[in-house]
Amino acid sequence: MRNAKLARSAVLGLILAPLAAIADGYVIAHSSVNVAPGDVREIYVGNMQFAGSVKLVPVDNGAVQGDFLSKVIKTDPDRYATIWAKKGFRDGLNPPPVKSGDAEVMDFVKRTPGAIGYVSTNPGGANIIVKY
Amino acid sequence: MLNIEKKAVAKAVGMLACALLASPAAADDAARIKELERKLERSMQLIENLSAKVSELEKAKAPAPAASPAAADQQARVEALERQVAQLGSGISRRSFDDGIPVHGFADVGLAHSGEHNPIFGKGRKGFNVGSFDLYLTPQFGDRVRSLIELVFEVDHDGDIATDLERLQIGYAFSDAAVAWGGRFHTPYGYWNTAFHHGAQIQTSLSRPRFLEFEDKGGILPAHTTGAWLTGALPLAGNRFGYDVYVGNSSSLRVENTATTLSANNAAAFNSQVSAGGYAGGGALNMKMAGGDSGSYMTGFNAWIEPRAIDGLRLGVHGLGGSITDDSADRNRTRLAALGAYGVFASERWEVLGEFYRFNNRDLSGGSGSHRSWAGYLQAGYNSGRWTPYVRGERASLEQKDNYFAVQEFGRSYRRFVAGLRYDLDPKAALKLELSRTSQEDLGLGGDDRYGAAQLQYSIRF
Repeated sequence: MRNAKLARSAVLGLILAPLAAIADGYVIAHSSVNVAPGDVREIYVGNMQFAGSVKLVPVDNGAVQGDFLSKVIKTDPDRYATIWAKKGFRDGLNPPPVKSGDAEVMDFVKRTPGAIGYVSTNPGGANIIVKY
Repeated sequence: MLNIEKKAVAKAVGMLACALLASPAAADDAARIKELERKLERSMQLIENLSAKVSELEKAKAPAPAASPAAADQQARVEALERQVAQLGSGISRRSFDDGIPVHGFADVGLAHSGEHNPIFGKGRKGFNVGSFDLYLTPQFGDRVRSLIELVFEVDHDGDIATDLERLQIGYAFSDAAVAWGGRFHTPYGYWNTAFHHGAQIQTSLSRPRFLEFEDKGGILPAHTTGAWLTGALPLAGNRFGYDVYVGNSSSLRVENTATTLSANNAAAFNSQVSAGGYAGGGALNMKMAGGDSGSYMTGFNAWIEPRAIDGLRLGVHGLGGSITDDSADRNRTRLAALGAYGVFASERWEVLGEFYRFNNRDLSGGSGSHRSWAGYLQAGYNSGRWTPYVRGERASLEQKDNYFAVQEFGRSYRRFVAGLRYDLDPKAALKLELSRTSQEDLGLGGDDRYGAAQLQYSIRF
């Protein structure tokens, strides 16, 4: 019985894993933020700190960071960390803080002027910068 | 469909009645007509009843009514909660906290074996060594106020620990295109000095090009400046442009440690005043962190472009000028004028770096005129996963009649070829083996030296 459950779980995991990998994501921002989809990479590698007069506050979503980095930033977590290590050492900038998941990102983005983040589910009504 | 049937029945009955009325025989048979009318009424009633039953059956076959809005809302909440719980598992371990000021840094240890042996610099160093321990903080105060504080502990030539407030800069960000800094900062000439500096782990090679070393380790340029610095970058037509402009205290050349041997060996090469003073080759640059008595300033610029056409490429030009006075009794003054260019290509696989510096210095005190010198390097590395083999060629041709170089301990011409191998144990730790061959020039009769060196370094960042 126990083995059967494990087998079912394994099969389910195998089925769901690829689905999760190809799931869409959404880059969302506070209503005060007006940036183009092409700016997202520049923001997340520290090259863009301001959108007009608004100071940008990017946050990472720890739950889906790998997917976001590979699809949008075109890098992996190790290289992303190295990019920010160099950015911090050279320019005195700090990397985006990491939130635990969609709910925390959505909450932060909603209440923080200049905030920008990414989530794995359609945020419904939020300011969506790009769907990836 | 039922309405059509009712109409058809009524039509048939009506036609039958008309037919009967039209017949002469039927005119007398009123009773039969009434009977037909009753039958018609019953038929109509039967049709009505059947219609009602069919309607009931059709309703019974219709899909179940949608769940109530409250139930749907509850279902959505449950699904959202499931997603959150699933994400917490993977997200919680990678979460960072906003509170506090994170401390970052670099550290390295190593082993060296140098064959250097000449009457000027003596024997090269052999054995295990501690590199530098670099700590830096990047506290930010609000949206626009930034700071960068870097403290370095390093081992000097005698093996003693020296503490150096490497950077103390406080800045204000007007925009991405204009960030103003004040304090002590890495002088933004060329590429290497600001890109790597004490960050041994983030630079591919083990060593810096010798002429770009720190002031107290053989560098011939002021690697640090105390002053004000405006920097920024902005996109334009898909390309990215950046700039630096700065002004700071003019460095001085401290010549406390005289090297009369060098002067005596190579008296013909040096400025006569320098040689006569017996301090040739004993000085090092001092960036005058507390200000100076000369009241002179150094200025510089750096401008670069990252063209959209080639991802990872940066091309730049830079310049540096100022009046440099040495601390000797003669107080030689030199107008330092350096112009240079550089190119960097950094892709996932390749890293190619090259810098060139041209010096056109002028003697402001002794009247020995202008002197031209140059220095440059070219380095290439190929990253294949964790392994990165690299090579570098360096060359400095420094005019010894120029007080600026003659007075400096390491202001001699040289050639160096470097080959190394880097292995990344993990993204934050690297092991490097580097072999080099150096030809030192301008050391006078019997002083020129060619030697090889092997170095091993284990470096980390945190």
